[in-house]
Amino acid sequence: MKLSTMTRAAVVTTVAATLLAGCGQGSTTDDPTDDATDDAAADEGEADDGEATDGAEETDAPAETGGEEASGETITLWLAGETDTPVELEEWLVTAFNEETGATLEVQRIPWGELLERANQALPDPDNTPDVIEMGNTQVPTYTSVGAFEDLSGLLGELGDIGPEGFIEAGTYEDTVYAVPYYWGSRYIFFDKAAFSDAGLEVPTTLEEFSTAAIALREAGGDGFSGLWLPGQDWRNGISWIFAHGGDIAVKEGDQWVGALSSPESVAGLTQWQELYAGASTAPQDGKDAEAWVPFNNGEAAMFMAPSWARWSVEETRAEDLGAFALPGVDGGVAPVFAGGSNIAISAQSQHKELAADLMRLIFSDEYQTMLAENGLGPANPEFTALMGDDEFAQAAISAAENAKLTPASSEWAAVETASVMEEFFGRIAGGEDVATVAAEVDTQLADMLNG
Amino acid sequence: MTDQETARVPLTPTPVTAPDRRRRRRRGGLGGYWLLLPAIAVLLIGEGYPLVRQVIMSFQEFGRAQQFGAPPEWIGLDNYRALFTDSQMWGVVVRSLVFCAVNVALTMVIGTTFALIMLRAPRVPRVVLQVSMLLCWAMPVIAAMTAWQWLFDSRYGLINWTLTNLGLGDFTRHNWLIEPLSFYLVATVIVVWMSVPFVAFTAYAALTQVPEDALEAGQIDGANAWQRWRFIIYPSIRPALTIVLMLQIVWDLRVFAQIHYLQGVGGVPSETHLLGTYIYTLGVGQSEYGMASAFALFVLVLTLVLTARYVHALLKAETV
Repeated sequence: MKLSTMTRAAVVTTVAATLLAGCGQGSTTDDPTDDATDDAAADEGEADDGEATDGAEETDAPAETGGEEASGETITLWLAGETDTPVELEEWLVTAFNEETGATLEVQRIPWGELLERANQALPDPDNTPDVIEMGNTQVPTYTSVGAFEDLSGLLGELGDIGPEGFIEAGTYEDTVYAVPYYWGSRYIFFDKAAFSDAGLEVPTTLEEFSTAAIALREAGGDGFSGLWLPGQDWRNGISWIFAHGGDIAVKEGDQWVGALSSPESVAGLTQWQELYAGASTAPQDGKDAEAWVPFNNGEAAMFMAPSWARWSVEETRAEDLGAFALPGVDGGVAPVFAGGSNIAISAQSQHKELAADLMRLIFSDEYQTMLAENGLGPANPEFTALMGDDEFAQAAISAAENAKLTPASSEWAAVETASVMEEFFGRIAGGEDVATVAAEVDTQLADMLNG
Repeated sequence: MTDQETARVPLTPTPVTAPDRRRRRRRGGLGGYWLLLPAIAVLLIGEGYPLVRQVIMSFQEFGRAQQFGAPPEWIGLDNYRALFTDSQMWGVVVRSLVFCAVNVALTMVIGTTFALIMLRAPRVPRVVLQVSMLLCWAMPVIAAMTAWQWLFDSRYGLINWTLTNLGLGDFTRHNWLIEPLSFYLVATVIVVWMSVPFVAFTAYAALTQVPEDALEAGQIDGANAWQRWRFIIYPSIRPALTIVLMLQIVWDLRVFAQIHYLQGVGGVPSETHLLGTYIYTLGVGQSEYGMASAFALFVLVLTLVLTARYVHALLKAETV
């Protein structure tokens, strides 16, 4: 078969176009559809260098607007995650905002996996920027340092008593607050009460006892059963063991970040974690923290560690025996876990900064803080924390949060996350590699990345 | 015009006669170029600007700060220098080339085989085969990937269960993604599965155009099946296969969605990056847009070099 001249011309053109298109797309921002990695990628926090934020100077705060003159205007709020902020809270905000200012509030929910990319595109653009944006607290420092957010120093006084302190630090850059805490959550242990009583176990009070219990549960459960579901690459839970032993991921010495994974404290924590993985878990070595409740629901795990909202994913049949406790510390008490949660900020490019400030005032109003707490989201204002309830889940959440820690407050931390450095680090330890050797290697890598 | 030409297929390449050549040239004319205008316009608008921007960016220090308005710094060849001295980058290039070669070869062989089967098969099995292939071709990538992920799941996957129950060894909780080679095996199965229908349909369409009389004549002259394939069928469908081969090379070299998805599910990303995912991590992930642009341009050149032979062959066929 020969192709006619015209057919051939058409084919050559098509092929040329595909070649170009192929390479063009394969370049910088190719993102077909992926989102496999997203869900857990974003809801965590950082900042641990104790910069004082209260000394921030009063600067030109967005001025207050009064009622009617704003009618007809619309501002946009981006909420992270499709369900993280319950719908009734969103509805309340929309109504209250309209009553208060006469303007319209449009809420858009951005999936965690798309948040950074879309923020990268929208925030620099005055025509498309959201006016107010929620962002995971590990993500915030990446943006405060490039001037993406409005200085909130002037507004702080009106927002009342807010925390946790680590979240404010995450939103602070060079002594200026750009993003404030929206809500916090914390990770704790969910357990099967029946499995504990069958094995004659009590709720452990030290990390050592916890390991013993988890290993005993695995042995009682038979082949494929996990005493604790502990996926190998689940670093967000894994770093609790580092923190518990007094170690850290990286620390700032002078103006340089230095990896701290190979410090004796960190190595002790990681070694204990490695033994726990080997002895108590049948989770895959490359498993991450998504959907940790699935094996629990299937009766294949006696415990799992997850943020507080995981409770609602446990099946009803299993919920009866579901209990919760905060991960115990090395010498009792509560281990410092990785703090989850979000910050909220006003875009520097917003064309409606006064209205955006009004929205912030509403978010920090007593009504809204009450609603957050009642829905199990840790309220920024500690006065309302008690409203989270007094059952064991609320207690576990509150005590875990008291000690929660964040990842290094480097504006380059996001690069560490997108390059899966921590996932691979924990994966290698789960694979049985020598802790000290791997830790030293990764420390070098961290120093490289965090110092930009 | 097409009918007339395709019907006049010579068994062996006939020497092109002078009148034949004249006739073609006359027909080419300027009119044909006008017809190319819309395609060129689309290319310029859709690809021209990004390409120019990318070339410029590859000579700049362009990160997140620049995205938020900081002026980019012109750093000449620094991005390229950093890139070409990066051992990880060369690892990625080599892996991508091997992956591309294996996948293209498998896809072409399996696709052409399916086409030959379709040609011989009775109606009902043929239609069943065609419909199944059309369905896997039409399936959205992420939906397909989700299904494959479930199949290969270490705890609940059908593949582990089947292999174990067939007595082929203990595959209980076998993790397919943790070893890079095994990761690429899974990726290859999926990529080939997704690409075969296109090759099969194109080759089948070409095969239906192979002149019956030539085959009959060959048979009478005592050509066996292999000889008929080698000397009659293959030369006839070669132009179509060349185009498909070229497209497959381009597609498999820039494979992204499948690898990115699998990396999200498991495995060790730094050991399983191919060109697409590496550039993505560099650019979108770490906001190293300058480096990512430089690498992407390198990939463009690489693709052109790899496909030059085929483009050349097509163009040569054009001017015969």
